[in-house]
Amino acid sequence: MTERNVSSMRGATAIVGIGQTPYYKRGTAPEPELKLALRAITQAADDAGIDVRDIDGFISYASERSDPAKLMPALGTRECRFASLVWIHGGALAGTLNVAAGAILSGQADIVAIYRSMAEGNSQRLRVAVAQNDTSSQYLVNGLDSPAQILALRAQRLMEHHGVPRSALFATVQASYYHARNNSRALGRATEMTREIYDEARMISEPYRLFDCSRENDGAACVLVVSAERARDLRQTPAYVLSAPMGTMGGGGALEENWRPYYATAGQKELADRLWRESGYGPKDVDVAQIYMNMDAMGIGSMIDHGFFAMEEAGAFCTLDNLIAPSGRLPINTSGGDLAEGFIHGMGLIPEAVRQIRGTSVNQVPGARLSLVTGGPGDLMSSTALLGSADTL
Amino acid sequence: MSYSFEQHKIVGAIEADDDYWRGLEDGVLRLPRCASCRGWTWPAHFRCGQCGSWDFDWVAVEPRGRIFTYTRTHYAFDRVLERREDVPYVTVVAELPDAGNLRLIGVLKGDEADLAIGAPVRGTIDPPSAKSKFYPALRWELER
Repeated sequence: MTERNVSSMRGATAIVGIGQTPYYKRGTAPEPELKLALRAITQAADDAGIDVRDIDGFISYASERSDPAKLMPALGTRECRFASLVWIHGGALAGTLNVAAGAILSGQADIVAIYRSMAEGNSQRLRVAVAQNDTSSQYLVNGLDSPAQILALRAQRLMEHHGVPRSALFATVQASYYHARNNSRALGRATEMTREIYDEARMISEPYRLFDCSRENDGAACVLVVSAERARDLRQTPAYVLSAPMGTMGGGGALEENWRPYYATAGQKELADRLWRESGYGPKDVDVAQIYMNMDAMGIGSMIDHGFFAMEEAGAFCTLDNLIAPSGRLPINTSGGDLAEGFIHGMGLIPEAVRQIRGTSVNQVPGARLSLVTGGPGDLMSSTALLGSADTL
Repeated sequence: MSYSFEQHKIVGAIEADDDYWRGLEDGVLRLPRCASCRGWTWPAHFRCGQCGSWDFDWVAVEPRGRIFTYTRTHYAFDRVLERREDVPYVTVVAELPDAGNLRLIGVLKGDEADLAIGAPVRGTIDPPSAKSKFYPALRWELER
């Protein structure tokens, strides 16, 4: 039953439009959050050649505040037929594609906008939204507040107990900054990342130094999803959604560092297994990957959970040469990603995964056909998605 | 008597662990064990996910274990500014062999020289203070 339903979703929808505002240092956006959302959504519609008034589905995730009711008057929306907010934090990123596919295939909506907008000045995301309602007393009483600290606990285990070396973390940082140099939107484009700069940056929460952490920025991003049938008549090369599972492993949930049987990676192993099964592809087939990096070691955990390499292979696999376009074994975060482009709760990763299928990335992997985008690692609920070109269907 | 932490309640998470904090304020580490299947549930919850029972016994447990993981915080984060003067401080997650290897968080006390994953630790209890948001706090200390 499950398998049959899933196979009916494989390749049945596609991303046909992408939009991204400029990224700003946190708290410095010249426009309010809602206006940034409007700009990203209208840009995605223009990119697709779709009348923005025809968007009839809206999906976001986590603590998004630009809800469809606020957007509709300015978009001229003819009718909103579907709206949904996906749990919990950035883990929801790729799973939004699954929700969109469900809405489209069940006939509830035809054109779905998936978007995320953040301006710290408006939303106080870090100080309010992230802070409220799910950091338990078990953490706060013991001096743990920030995701950086909580994810540091997992990184310490990944490094000290499982032996993933510092060089692997650095390689992901270096690859991100290497790619950012070609991206005019990237906030880290001027930084030539060296081991010295990395090592000398201030310690945040061991083992994380400053550059191991994502940038929390102001900005907005949007992608438009339609049925595969509709996609074929539109302007852009469709990026088909082959699989976008969401969820949490058995024995997962709000467990305050009590996950079993595995702890130090990203909690995405079961998701990745479903991704490969549903898509019919495996890790060796992937041409390029946008790996969500709230923190770099968590992204390494994602790659381990997806089967790109084993724990003990992390040091050998994660080198600059292996992680960069055009010809690395697994080019990652080709826009600079969450570490070096900017962090709009991971939402910038989906447009870049789409550009790779279109052949328009500033760090293009030649002939990329299978493009992975992972959701927030270590989130209580997470997701992952594989996009493919027409010939992967 | 009324408990300090009840006057300074941190809201928003599962919040089934009041008896844990009451225990610590009384000077005893108590952890929830299913009255029916005897399985440990941590963090505390309202129903045993293993057998479906709604009843837990809060059992006194010897506060000893080994370090599962830890982090040394070098920055005074917004919501734990009361520890500003202690930066850098180490927060430990320790496994308790006497309670099904469930893991409890606590700030390290004393010597840090042998800090490592797997190192044996012993727990003590700090009474409520501003530093722990007027909650009692379990502290882990490396065994010599």
